[in-house]
Amino acid sequence: MTKLTRRSMLGAMGAAAAASAFSAIPAWAADRSIRHFWWGNPERDKRTFAVIDVFQKANPAIEVSGETIGWGDYWTKMATQTAGRNMADLVQMDYRFLFEYVRRGALLPLDEHIGKSLMIADFDQGPLEGGKVDGKLYALNIGSNSQVMVHNTRVFQEAGIDADLINWTWDDFAKACETITAKTNGAVKGSDDLSLMIETFESWVRQNGREFYDADGKVTATVDDVASYWQFWADLREKGAVRDADKTVILDPPIAESGIAVGDTAMSHYWSNQLVGIQAVAKDKIGAAMVPHKAGGKPGQFIKPSMFMSLSRDAKDTDAAMAYMNAWVNDPETTAILGLERGIPCSPKVRAALAPNLTEVEKMSVDYFEAIQSRVGPLPLPAPKGAGEVRDAFMRVGTDVVLGNAQAADAATAFIEEAQSIVERAQ
Amino acid sequence: MRRFFARNAPAYVFLLPWLIGFFLLALGPILASLYLSFTRYDMVNVPEWVGLDNYVYMFTRDRRFWKALDVTFTYVALAVPARLIMALGVAMLLDKGLRTIGLYRAIFYLPSLLGASIAIAILWRQLFAADGVVNQIMATFGIQGASWITNPNTSLYTLVILAMWQFGSPMLIFLAGLRGIPRDLYEAAEIDGTPRWRQFTRITLPLLAVIFFNLVLQTIDAFKTFSSAFIISNGTGAPADSLLFYTVYLFNEAFKFFRMGYASALAWVLLIIIAVFTAVAFFTSKYWVHYENERD
Amino acid sequence: MKTSATDLDLAIQVDEAARVAHALKLRRDRRERNGRILKHVFLIGVSCVMLYPLFWLLASSFKPENEIFGSLTLWPSEFRFDNYTEGWNALPKSFTVFYVNSAIVTGLSVIGNLVSCSFAAYAFARLQFTGRSFFFALMMMTLMIPYHVVLIPQYVQFLRLGWVDTYLPLVVPRFLASDAFFIFLMVQFFRQLPRELDEAAMIDGCSPFKIYWAIILPLSLPAMGTAAIFSLIWVWEDFLAPLIYLNDIKSYTVPLALRLFLDQEGKSAYGQMFAMSVLSLVPVVIFFVLFQKMIVRGIATSGMK
Repeated sequence: MTKLTRRSMLGAMGAAAAASAFSAIPAWAADRSIRHFWWGNPERDKRTFAVIDVFQKANPAIEVSGETIGWGDYWTKMATQTAGRNMADLVQMDYRFLFEYVRRGALLPLDEHIGKSLMIADFDQGPLEGGKVDGKLYALNIGSNSQVMVHNTRVFQEAGIDADLINWTWDDFAKACETITAKTNGAVKGSDDLSLMIETFESWVRQNGREFYDADGKVTATVDDVASYWQFWADLREKGAVRDADKTVILDPPIAESGIAVGDTAMSHYWSNQLVGIQAVAKDKIGAAMVPHKAGGKPGQFIKPSMFMSLSRDAKDTDAAMAYMNAWVNDPETTAILGLERGIPCSPKVRAALAPNLTEVEKMSVDYFEAIQSRVGPLPLPAPKGAGEVRDAFMRVGTDVVLGNAQAADAATAFIEEAQSIVERAQ
Repeated sequence: MRRFFARNAPAYVFLLPWLIGFFLLALGPILASLYLSFTRYDMVNVPEWVGLDNYVYMFTRDRRFWKALDVTFTYVALAVPARLIMALGVAMLLDKGLRTIGLYRAIFYLPSLLGASIAIAILWRQLFAADGVVNQIMATFGIQGASWITNPNTSLYTLVILAMWQFGSPMLIFLAGLRGIPRDLYEAAEIDGTPRWRQFTRITLPLLAVIFFNLVLQTIDAFKTFSSAFIISNGTGAPADSLLFYTVYLFNEAFKFFRMGYASALAWVLLIIIAVFTAVAFFTSKYWVHYENERD
Repeated sequence: MKTSATDLDLAIQVDEAARVAHALKLRRDRRERNGRILKHVFLIGVSCVMLYPLFWLLASSFKPENEIFGSLTLWPSEFRFDNYTEGWNALPKSFTVFYVNSAIVTGLSVIGNLVSCSFAAYAFARLQFTGRSFFFALMMMTLMIPYHVVLIPQYVQFLRLGWVDTYLPLVVPRFLASDAFFIFLMVQFFRQLPRELDEAAMIDGCSPFKIYWAIILPLSLPAMGTAAIFSLIWVWEDFLAPLIYLNDIKSYTVPLALRLFLDQEGKSAYGQMFAMSVLSLVPVVIFFVLFQKMIVRGIATSGMK
């Protein structure tokens, strides 16, 4: 019973109207079908459906059905489908959730296909590592990114900031914040308050020479790491050099509500593949700066896959799925359509092919990527189960510090305790 | 046996769609969720029986559970009366035969149409921000206001105001209740009675029935509030768990932290709480709600 | 002599009385009018407050993207219609498709709700049968359970039936009185109708079905109208069930399609989403305006026959 037969049960009226919406390719000519589920936005969806068309034209025997929804609802649906053993064959994965699904056995390893149906031999190996868990490749990197301090170039220029934005330290950063706030008379603060950004904190910890989690999944960040981090921002808050506490305690805000988009700060922390989206809502021209370094510390930033494609355990036609996955990262026409929308491609060939046609913002993101290569560290170890909850706890406990209801040192102790108990409970 | 059928058959025929729906579609999942509440279930693998562990953890070690209860109870206590009072007040105003009643009715119902949409969440965050419109208006009266929505002490009140803003649904039911009583029928049905008494029975008593209905449903609804709190706090219950409604907590436990078993336990505790409230309402209703000509 | 004096006094008294009465009437009319003006002023004031957020939404849909969050002014710096024109086709399928889908699902659902819920409500409200309280309690219980925990077991059930990626999980439950809210609503209304009607009809030899059809239903127009309105609005705006059960984007309903606009991580299109949200309200408002009269119309005495 194909999907089409089920649909036709629903009344002629609907079918008649919907018939015009069906694709021109007669689906019953295909005898193999695969499903691809991704999270997206109008731009990404357009490109992805175009890619599906390209693939189907090249492989008329395979029908690809594309399923998509926004990020917020994606994981709810994913969990539901997983519970029902009805996951799509190919699913888009994120670093944050990847480990939760891999460790629970929802995804299949890709190693057996490498070299046969999946040609990734000449890809940058570093970025590919991100998809490995326990030595097996569970997720294919379909775009890399790295942390970036997005800054407002106009404000920086007017305030006369001339720091080296790739090599600068936290002291340079603090000074820049104060200068900007002073020069604009407080109208534009130096930066967003990053107290609640665990992603930045993870860099801070690595700069101190530690990882947040160790190989066994225990929390190895120390109370002192947390306390010093929160204290750094508390000091800046006191000087009024960072964004108001009011706006900071709104968690996980959309890009359009960040300081740089609204215009009330000159810097926000994001990922490099979001630069295009940020420029679309920011009034001024934005630039890319690295996360500040600790003077004399280890590299904190790293290059990570922005998103992956994985093979789910419910995949039936593995060959068709692998053919699709391979085309996704290798086929020239496909990669040209996808561009940099999901991040920087791992394949040097693809990058070279894309170079001539980049927009200004895209070119900036590529240049930034090149510039940071020498100053980044290796990927952190895969996070244990419960990492998502630890992130929430970090934001929750940090809120008290931001609002001035708790001292950084006390809150830090409370957080580390809670983080450890969360990770224990989740195992 | 035959009499049983003869007496009950018509009722069961009418009840048939609901019976089929309940036993086929509702009962299974409800019982499944009860079963899951005694398991550890991450949705990826098979549920693992843990007995009462979930419930024990909930009542002895889970601080956020109590926080969620606190937030939700406070909200119910504030939002339900506020909403009902606004709805009843406006309904009675509109019932007095204004010419433009239709227009007002539509205007007052419009906010409810927006439901809990993302647009409203964004707007609400802006309205109640430190530099938002609400504070600007208050400034003209000389009152200095801080940010309402990001202060853990006041963020819940912004949601109460949201509930009050969306009083259209109970208002509509009140209007229907006030208008739907076929008064000429009552005249015909009653044999005699003094005019004043008749007015009272005709207007106020049926109103109590509608108040009861609205009270029960709004309370159940308020306990289950999800969308507005979820969207305004971006799914986190921020700031500082001040918007951690029970169902938001439940949702995150289930879908964010892969603890569907625990979430099921949470759901059943909520169901029991709501059921107790509802049962109390139904029992006391015997004393203050009268259905015209009811004979049971 | 005496009679003429009293006649005159009487005439004067009557005249006085009439004048006083007239003055009183004028004062009462003025008070009523003032009262009415006051009422209107109050209602208009409340309306403005109620509508402000909607004006904001409307205004934002005309603003360019970077103005929606930056400024608080209602009036856009430049009116842009491209949020509407581009928004309609911004998604992989045009909104025409989504509107048609929503119309199908909503239309069927409203019919299903009205029919099946009124059946069940009639049984609960008017008929005596064994197990009535028990089933009523069960029905109320379905109202109280949070949907998120029955979502997955229900999904698995529909998956086994092969109904996933169709409209069946969205529509069939409505024909099986799955929404207890409407049952409860109608029960409350039915209980207020005088039983003498039922009894009179039964004496005449009417079956319960006839009573239902000819007496209870026509008198319940306010309840039916209310149920129709709520049903339509809630089904139209429902997105959780469509999210779970619909995979093919061609079958998406409007609220689900609206969620394709936002991406936390990447590029969102708020202006277009607002524009499409405004448009998605239009059918609902129209339906509301059409049906609200049903609630208000007085009960025609023809129902008694």
